[in-house]
Amino acid sequence: MKSLFWMLLPLSLVGCASQEASEALARAEAAYLSVKDDSDVLRAAPKDVVRSGESLGRAERFAGYWGSADDVAHYAYLSERYAQIAREHTDLVEGQARQTRLTMERDRLRLALQEARLLTAEQQGRWLEDQMMALAATETDRGLVMTLGDVLFQAGSAQLSPSANRTLLRLVRFLNLNPKRTIRIEGYSDNRGQAAQNLELSRLRAQAVADFLADLGIDPARMIVQGYGEQYPLTENASARGRAQNRRVEIVFSDAQGTLAPSR
Amino acid sequence: MNHRNALFLLTACTLLVACATDPVPDEQLRLTRQAIEQAEAVGGTDEVAELALARNKTAQAEAAVQDGDNKRARLLAEQAELDARLAEAKVLTQKSDEQIAELTRRIARLRQQLGDLQ
Repeated sequence: MKSLFWMLLPLSLVGCASQEASEALARAEAAYLSVKDDSDVLRAAPKDVVRSGESLGRAERFAGYWGSADDVAHYAYLSERYAQIAREHTDLVEGQARQTRLTMERDRLRLALQEARLLTAEQQGRWLEDQMMALAATETDRGLVMTLGDVLFQAGSAQLSPSANRTLLRLVRFLNLNPKRTIRIEGYSDNRGQAAQNLELSRLRAQAVADFLADLGIDPARMIVQGYGEQYPLTENASARGRAQNRRVEIVFSDAQGTLAPSR
Repeated sequence: MNHRNALFLLTACTLLVACATDPVPDEQLRLTRQAIEQAEAVGGTDEVAELALARNKTAQAEAAVQDGDNKRARLLAEQAELDARLAEAKVLTQKSDEQIAELTRRIARLRQQLGDLQ
């Protein structure tokens, strides 16, 4: 009878303690179960899954012995922790992959925004240039025409004077912003002196403008140069003032698609 | 004392001796402290429950070594190491989540700005 008591005492102690231990064991089993077949977890944290399984195995083996409730609880705890760590690492790896995708998307959007802003600035610039050219040029039956007056050339020569720079630079900007537009550069003179010389001078002046534009990067293929000499005067050649008005270079613009009105 | 009781006492003594001869878990304590330091290095504080737990158990393990209870010290230190490792992983995941939230905000703003332009 006495020996039976000695045998039952430790048994009841084990029974008490193992209540806690078996709960820990159940939690660990559930935690391990949730990671052991998850391919994402196995890829992200294979070692932690293996350790979770090993610790769980140890806890289960201890559960078969009397008096080892502490060890059962301990290894169950470790197993559950390993499973939690494995899960956390998996979340981290997934988060990093997502960050990479989002970073790429952000960079792509940044570029797109920059381009959109540039485009808008360019469109604004184009609109402004259009306005400026519209002010400087006149709408005629030959299309839009801009007149470069006699004062932009040195007297009796095809040499452009420095005061022409401003007007011609504006023309360059306009042509850069409107890459499809082409121009015809037409030279005119008054009727003093020989007609052949006047024709030559008018052509040379028109050519001087074309050269200036080409130097600044306008494709010569977009320009047609033509000298008209004494033809098509704007006004009477009777007065000095009238003659000055007739000595000129006219720039005829094509439409936006590059179609020029036929030459005279 | 009958024969059976003698055998039981002998077994109990053997078990006690086995407990007493557990070595001081110096190596495990070193690993545990290292894991705690690592969790701290990535920005973990006591606000992370697992890190507070790890520190607490490490202190208990050190006390157990003082008391000569080396087995208890080892178990506590082993648990504390994993507590700290879990804490570290949680801190990293949380940071990653914050970065994702920030990126998502930025992307939404960029999209809106693009929409405003078009």
